[in-house]
Amino acid sequence: MDLLQIGSYTFSSRLILGTGKFSNSTVMLDAVRASGAQLVTVALRRFNREQAEDDLFGPLSAIEGITLMPNTSGASTAAEAVRAAHIARELSGSPFIKVEIHPNPQHLMPDPIETFEASRILAKEGFLVMPYIAADPVLAKRLEEVGCASVMPLGSAIGSGQGLATSEMLNIIIRESGIPVIVDAGLRSPSEAAHAMEMGCEAVLVNSAVAAAGNPSEMAEAFAEAVAAGRKAFRAGLMQKSGSAVATSPLTSFLGTF
Amino acid sequence: MTALPEWLSDNRDTASLAAMLSPASSQSLETLAAESRAITLRRFGRTITLYAPLYLSNYCSSGCAYCGFASDRKTPRHRLEPDEIRRELAAMKKLGISDILLLTGERTAAADFDYLQRSVAIAAEEMQRVSVEAFPMSVSEYRALADCGCTGITIYQETYNRERYEALHRWGPKKDFIARLETPARALEGGIKSVGLGVLLGLSDPVEDALSLYRHVRHLGRTYWRAGMSVSFPRMRPQTGGYEPPFPVDDHLLARIIFAFRIALPDTELVLSTRESATFRDGMAGLGITRMSIESRTTVGGYYESENEERREKGQFEISDDRTAREFCAALRRQNIEPVFKNWEPSYNGPSSSITLAMQSEKEQPCH
Repeated sequence: MDLLQIGSYTFSSRLILGTGKFSNSTVMLDAVRASGAQLVTVALRRFNREQAEDDLFGPLSAIEGITLMPNTSGASTAAEAVRAAHIARELSGSPFIKVEIHPNPQHLMPDPIETFEASRILAKEGFLVMPYIAADPVLAKRLEEVGCASVMPLGSAIGSGQGLATSEMLNIIIRESGIPVIVDAGLRSPSEAAHAMEMGCEAVLVNSAVAAAGNPSEMAEAFAEAVAAGRKAFRAGLMQKSGSAVATSPLTSFLGTF
Repeated sequence: MTALPEWLSDNRDTASLAAMLSPASSQSLETLAAESRAITLRRFGRTITLYAPLYLSNYCSSGCAYCGFASDRKTPRHRLEPDEIRRELAAMKKLGISDILLLTGERTAAADFDYLQRSVAIAAEEMQRVSVEAFPMSVSEYRALADCGCTGITIYQETYNRERYEALHRWGPKKDFIARLETPARALEGGIKSVGLGVLLGLSDPVEDALSLYRHVRHLGRTYWRAGMSVSFPRMRPQTGGYEPPFPVDDHLLARIIFAFRIALPDTELVLSTRESATFRDGMAGLGITRMSIESRTTVGGYYESENEERREKGQFEISDDRTAREFCAALRRQNIEPVFKNWEPSYNGPSSSITLAMQSEKEQPCH
């Protein structure tokens, strides 16, 4: 069976869902179920232990068959992300941590230096570290070297719906990586998710595209199907694109025949 | 007279905003609303983050012509003592509030920096996120507040028209236009993570003020790249002292300003308070606004009192949307928008900094 493996964990679904931006938690939970996702990320800042109605963690942890991956969204330094990871592990019991450090709360681009530092510390502490990064092939290798469980480069800016704007860099990251590459952020349509999987991503993470859809559950299902199709196509082996037409007078006729 | 900073006349990218703001604009309000809504949905999703104000003190040393707490008003003066602050916080927590804005007047002996710092430390023990709207401070004072758990500073310029500003601020420390203008930068310099800017609509030409406000946001964003930024659109409300705003802003113009800001600043938090009516707030939810106040009391001690129906005195201004948190949230939910009470984690508190500084500051914890 074709399973996604991260650390010692395996998942049959290769779609990871984010849980922010939904109109209410019922819609969010329905979308999670419809997506078939087995790995779901939730921001520590949306854990609310004092008010159940405002809490995302409680209802998610009640769903059978999913593993929660807390994230540090809101942290702007390595020190803050490390503190957040400790609290998240304490509260959720999950070994996963999605390191998300965006010091500029406007464009939310991940800080490579702080992310590297936090990931290094947390990997050493035994977390399964999933860092959210810009599509930077060198940073991806540096993170692999310090023991991250995967790398999560962005397809384009969070919430932008610009799709795989970074595909050239993603291709290099995928080609060179020894750990799973998971495209995170920027996807708008299931076809883009399928494309990412065909390129050889091990999984994709989607949030805005589902939360902001007219019918989030249906969109979640559509993404699940697209991810599965893209994966199957990757495994089947896409036919080669032909670079140019074959010349009628062969270019190599001067070489003579055997 | 100190010269105005260059950025205040920086027209680099104001042309398209100016075109949208002009009441004679070719872009209909409906077109702007549709674009503003699409951007908001993409970037912020179907959520509104909620906060509530807590008036610590209404002592004031300034003579703002338009304010109910100006020092020449006969309003009774109080400040909350630590046990009263705790009582207010407890009453607010019962309403679900976890994100608060602490307010004072201009600096006075009764409500000075030490008082404010102590109050922030108390609030940070109880609340998930604490911001401050008080008097201008020094960089080191802002750093000390950040160390105690203050993450945001709200400081409105009120108007960017220097002549109008000087006429309206009759006396007191707030009279200095340039000093006020430089305050948000000092807060960011001190490590405060986000600043809230705004103009008090009604005091001066609203379109000119909106353009200057935009320049201020862009200037700070370029200078302090880690800065979180929010923009508020307070409109003059009836208040003690009976000031009549000379440039009244109607609902259509206010909506136009909000849509234009969302389009021009797609990633910036836009805030709407209970100064506005329930109808206007419900209408604007999802169309560009991403943060709203709830259950506002503009009196000192108002939360505990309304729980106990004690004295009712006049606040800084009259609120318009006086619905309870429950009623307000139900209205948002009917529109398919999730009210979010907690959208912050106290482990992210502390002055904004890079790795080295962050590791150093972990050692010094003056508030614990």
